[in-house]
Amino acid sequence: MITVSTDTKFVHLAWQREEKLLKDVKYPMGSDPTGQLARMFGVYDESTGLALRGTFIISPDGKLLNAEVNYYNLGRNIDELLRKLKANIHLTKKPNEACPAKWQDKDDKTLKPSAKLVGRVYEALK
Amino acid sequence: MSEVCECLGCNVGANVPDFKLETFEPTKGDFGEISLETLKKNKKWTILFFYPADFTFV
Repeated sequence: MITVSTDTKFVHLAWQREEKLLKDVKYPMGSDPTGQLARMFGVYDESTGLALRGTFIISPDGKLLNAEVNYYNLGRNIDELLRKLKANIHLTKKPNEACPAKWQDKDDKTLKPSAKLVGRVYEALK
Repeated sequence: MSEVCECLGCNVGANVPDFKLETFEPTKGDFGEISLETLKKNKKWTILFFYPADFTFV
């Protein structure tokens, strides 16, 4: 996990020391003062010079697997983010499976797309 | 025909070009640097979590 804003690393340091909610932070706080990375991911707001609340999951081989962007005033759900990360890790190990919407963890049912499954997803998930 | 979006964020499944960021690392209390190249070398899953600004609220 790397957090990224257009603040400098010096401001990250000051914020992490000042704000008590951040005292247990373990992740690196990335600095993107030119907005170059935010532009690459399409979350740079030219009118404000700030990054929108974008979340991107990248696999160990460098492939973009998830993209989610919220406007300034909506926070993100960390449980959903972890669900997606877990699902991606699972699906990398089992590439012929698919994780349905309600999949939460590795013990939950996955689907194996095939001719047999067409129109029978309800039965498969029962 | 609508405009084609060229940003990577809309391009799930694509390979992410290498990038490099300066960081503050709270666990070390020090500054550092992170690159996609290093993350790939160390076989790490990466979540990039963009937000508007430090000292804000959500």
